Amino acid sequence: MSGFVATVRHEVLSARRERMPQALLVVFLGMVTISSLIGWLTHRTVTSVWQTTVAAGLTTAPDPFAQATPLSYVGNVVIYVILIGALLAIVLGVSSTLRGRRSRTTDLILSRPVDVAVHLGAKLAGMALWLGVVLAMAATLTWLSISLILRGALGAGDTARLVSFFALAWAFLLIFVVLGMLSGVHGSRETSALLLPIVAWSVITFVLPQLGTAALPVSLLNPVAAVPVQGAGFALVQQVVGPFALAEQFKTLSGTLLGTGGAGSVGTAAAALAIALAVGLLALLGTKRDHLRRDLRD
Amino acid sequence: MNDIAISTTGLSKSYGDKQALDGLDLEVPAGEVFGLLGHNGAGKTTTVNLLTTLLQPTGGRMMIGGLDGSSNPDGVRRIIGYLPENVQFYDNLTTLENLRYFGRLSGLHKPDARIRQVLEYLDFAGHENERVGTFSKGMRQRVGIAQAILHEPQVLFLDEPTSGLDPQGVRQLREIIVGLNHDLGMTIFMNTHLLSEVTKTCTSIGVLTAGQLRYHDSLEATLRAFPGESSLEDIYLHLDSSRVA
Repeated sequence: MSGFVATVRHEVLSARRERMPQALLVVFLGMVTISSLIGWLTHRTVTSVWQTTVAAGLTTAPDPFAQATPLSYVGNVVIYVILIGALLAIVLGVSSTLRGRRSRTTDLILSRPVDVAVHLGAKLAGMALWLGVVLAMAATLTWLSISLILRGALGAGDTARLVSFFALAWAFLLIFVVLGMLSGVHGSRETSALLLPIVAWSVITFVLPQLGTAALPVSLLNPVAAVPVQGAGFALVQQVVGPFALAEQFKTLSGTLLGTGGAGSVGTAAAALAIALAVGLLALLGTKRDHLRRDLRD
Repeated sequence: MNDIAISTTGLSKSYGDKQALDGLDLEVPAGEVFGLLGHNGAGKTTTVNLLTTLLQPTGGRMMIGGLDGSSNPDGVRRIIGYLPENVQFYDNLTTLENLRYFGRLSGLHKPDARIRQVLEYLDFAGHENERVGTFSKGMRQRVGIAQAILHEPQVLFLDEPTSGLDPQGVRQLREIIVGLNHDLGMTIFMNTHLLSEVTKTCTSIGVLTAGQLRYHDSLEATLRAFPGESSLEDIYLHLDSSRVA
């Protein structure tokens, strides 16, 4: 067995044994499972209010959910991926690279015929595999819960779009795994190594989207992308910082896949996420041996 | 196998203005247990880090088992075993899981049989499925020795192997080191500041002070060369004080 495969297996095993990722995993899967139920109850309540209002002759507006797809029930999963999933990914990434420094096994590994880029790539592949399994479980639970609500199996087209959404979520979360791994390599202390990517995540998710949109922080918890404010100044700011607001870009692409709509260009969103992942990978795989060997200060 | 296990010529390492190792010329024949003595900061760990290819030298050359450490570091890594000071291992994993990982990194495709053989040899069988996080320092050192010899290296590097061990642990580890040399013919390079251990374990010694090798000879010749000194400790202090003088 090659060192690459050995490290992939080792990462998956280690991630399975650590408590923090497990706790976040349980929360994530729990929220995903009840997401469809929440979506269905919301649809039912709003439709009921609409029917009552129409019956009373108070409105002639069409059914707000007349055009809604079955996948719109799981719109909230988008925000669970951004909030809980990203934190899970950061914890996984930080743990992955801090583990060797904490246990002082990095020197043991580097005293073997191991290439640093291959080693870190294998670690990332292990995390990617672990996340892939988690998201496959989430996709299955979602598919089952929507099918239960619909009292019939979800159609092939919608199933394909659901799978595409979870594949997108996987790619989005990999960005945060890489961010966490980089912080685990370069952080001087365990606490700062965990804190820094969380700060970066909060900036990406809550600060950047506000620059150029009229979004209030709480409205950024909506699963649809915030609408940019009209006006030359805001448009310029939005053009500059918008692509870095990765959570909003993820919402744009998710809205297209799930049929929940939202603002933003699909092309820009896809490019922003792909570039962020590529830059992160380059930084990670370019890590020098000496950086891996640095002792923690705490 | 090469007759000379470790050979260095002018091996140096500096960090900016600080010279951590200054022109080390050393030859350790195969089959020796070599003890590198020196006080804290003398450059012992830097020497081991260079010899295990963890650090790049800023000058000089080194050969391990006939392989050039600069041009063929992966070749060197395949024929050495290494136990750093204070290694903890992965607490959440069992002995077997830890050793499987390091065995596979060392190129063993199906390491389980070899792991059981090594644990048996180290008198550590029965602990395969226990988590390393529950182990004492002495038990961890056995896991450490096990990972270092799984792939049957030609040269084994031990950095302060008895550090933090209780007297019983020190004795057990000493028996293991002597056994590895006698039974398996392994060349062992050991950093230590415990002079009593050197007397009982090593066949040759070197004394490093301020990054320079001040002395190198067989233990027997050393004890003969200083008839006025009653112990290796006195000899070491004599050599070390001559540096100050």
